[in-house]
Amino acid sequence: MTEKSAANLNSQIRIQGLHKIFGPQPELMLEHVRNGIGKQELLADYGHVLGLRDINVNMRAGEITVIMGLSGSGKSTLVRHLNRLVEPTDGEILVDDEDVMKLDEEGLRELRRRKMTMVFQRFALLPHRSVLENAAISLEVRGQDVSQRVDEAQRWLARVGLEGYEASYPHQLSGGMQQRVGIARALAANTDIMLMDEAFSALDPLIRTDMQDLLMELQSELHKTIVFITHDLDEAMKLADHLVILNEGEIVQQDEPQRILMNPADGYIEDFVSDINRARVIRVRSVMRRDSTGREIAGEVDHNDTLESMIALSGGDTNHNYRVMRDGNAVGELDMRDLVKALTPSVVARSAGGRGQSHTIRAGS
Amino acid sequence: MAFYDSLFDHLGLRDWCDGAKQEGPMSMAELLAKAKGNQAAEDAESFPFPSLDALHEACGAMPRTREMTVGLERLFLDVKDGLKVVLDPITQPLSWMLDGALWLFASVPWWVLLPILLMMCWTVTRNVRVALLVTFSFVLLGFIDHLDSAVQTLSIIFVCTTISVVLGVPIGIAMSKSDRLQKTTLPILDLLQTLPSFVYLIPLIFLFSVTESKLYGIAIILYAIVPVIRLTDLGIRLVDRDVIEAADAFGMTGRQKLIGVEIPLALPNIMAGINQTIMMSLAMVVIASLVSAPGLGVLVLRGIRNLELGVGLVAGLGIVLLAVVLDRVSKAALDRIDKSKAGGL
Repeated sequence: MTEKSAANLNSQIRIQGLHKIFGPQPELMLEHVRNGIGKQELLADYGHVLGLRDINVNMRAGEITVIMGLSGSGKSTLVRHLNRLVEPTDGEILVDDEDVMKLDEEGLRELRRRKMTMVFQRFALLPHRSVLENAAISLEVRGQDVSQRVDEAQRWLARVGLEGYEASYPHQLSGGMQQRVGIARALAANTDIMLMDEAFSALDPLIRTDMQDLLMELQSELHKTIVFITHDLDEAMKLADHLVILNEGEIVQQDEPQRILMNPADGYIEDFVSDINRARVIRVRSVMRRDSTGREIAGEVDHNDTLESMIALSGGDTNHNYRVMRDGNAVGELDMRDLVKALTPSVVARSAGGRGQSHTIRAGS
Repeated sequence: MAFYDSLFDHLGLRDWCDGAKQEGPMSMAELLAKAKGNQAAEDAESFPFPSLDALHEACGAMPRTREMTVGLERLFLDVKDGLKVVLDPITQPLSWMLDGALWLFASVPWWVLLPILLMMCWTVTRNVRVALLVTFSFVLLGFIDHLDSAVQTLSIIFVCTTISVVLGVPIGIAMSKSDRLQKTTLPILDLLQTLPSFVYLIPLIFLFSVTESKLYGIAIILYAIVPVIRLTDLGIRLVDRDVIEAADAFGMTGRQKLIGVEIPLALPNIMAGINQTIMMSLAMVVIASLVSAPGLGVLVLRGIRNLELGVGLVAGLGIVLLAVVLDRVSKAALDRIDKSKAGGL
């Protein structure tokens, strides 16, 4: 990573050389794992399961870091290391320059109460408590007095759109509403860091989109450091500021989502991203030219606009040219023809090249 | 000449055998053999099982089976005094509680007692049908002059169940937290559960005086405490892993987790255990009438001893009625708890 040293400066969470091996004697296996033994070999020869191998990630404050992988890739294990629900075999986890690994029981409890909260895939609400009591749980754990915690919980419930449901019980709510309670519960803790373990995976697609929008909206206001786990690439692309792709316990690639899309590290990622709706993920800044084309300018657009919105704006006309603005300054120009080219995944472009010049554009699956 | 003589000769133990030889009192079998003369000796099996008795014939130093039985008895009697010094003060409050409860229930007039019982049922169940059943049962028991006995039985059950819960729930919680404790406790619980209920009484009669109420109190508690321990352990182990993880992630202490999450979520199971405990103490309180536990059991016992068929049957039906009432009330209470979070898990 070229920008690693720069990223170090404002990283809130730094994971360095993290290993996790499941089995009776994980420490003894560490040597083999360092020497690059395969996951299958480790299981067959030594009866240990490789959870995570040499994970190095920097998560910046105020950003959403999405950790994506298929099931069994170790993503849930990874996120549980951050608040030590899972103990690592080796490695360092620094949160605000404090080594989480060195915390004693009391320090760990403080970390979980004040620094990071968590949203769970299957909601994990307390079934015997009302929605309000659930939302206030972190405040209760900290020992705040009742009136304060009721106010706070009510405020966050209203914020996630659950006004009027305070007295209901979790089982009376739909899945989406239950997860809203889960989010309100996490927000009420008022921590900098929020861990979301497949938070929207158990919801049906429409509700999931709603929840993603809710999260984006909240994030634009609250600027939390969010670690989001998902197996859904569309979701990852939509939410991520920084995307980490995990396979078999190892990081395959990590970067800004659109950069991964434009420059996949290997065949695995390439296959992975080939079905994605590129127009929705890639932003103007990734395809714009820094120099002027000298052609007529049809309008001004923001550098963070998606290509999808550009297509809508131009009405599909590839002859237009736009000026790209960032914080009120012109930073480049966008040629709609570049935009259309960017919509083609490199896999398709290559195979199309082999078949001659017949252009197959597979934008928007 | 006994069959195993040569065995001891070969082992070179003959001197030891003869040296320690001492004639104990004759066993019944020996007496019979003597009466029949030598004929019996010829009838003896050519290859007897090497039991203690058979070995004793060949070697006088070997103890006989009945000496083992006597030894066990003596061992028990020897430790008894020491055990009594420890157990007596510990268990004395149980006597007081049982006597106190019996006195209290007996001294309250029926027109106060019945409304109080009814109120208690209503508070825990909020169920009209159960309340009607309770009213009907007690009125019927009173009508056939069995109310006093029934109330005595009931008061013993109250005390014993309360103590079982107070002791059993913490034991169950401790078991759920420690696999080692669970492994060591489960065999004891199995033993308590499979031991025939009469056997409980045998060592207790030696340890405590039959005039003391704690004798039957202990017997009932030992017998009835098992389900509440088991189901508390099970209930806490069955609490949703996700919810426990969430509790951890929010930085709950062990105590906050136990009181705020685990016990409330395990409550349906714990209540089912309490229901079983009540039913088992009712079963035991009848048998405990053999060792002076008052109540309906005494009437059943009278029916058996004096062949008073009617007395025994009526008292038996009274017990059934009591059982139905206790079961319905505790189940209705359980339902109420379940309902407050139906479908929650």
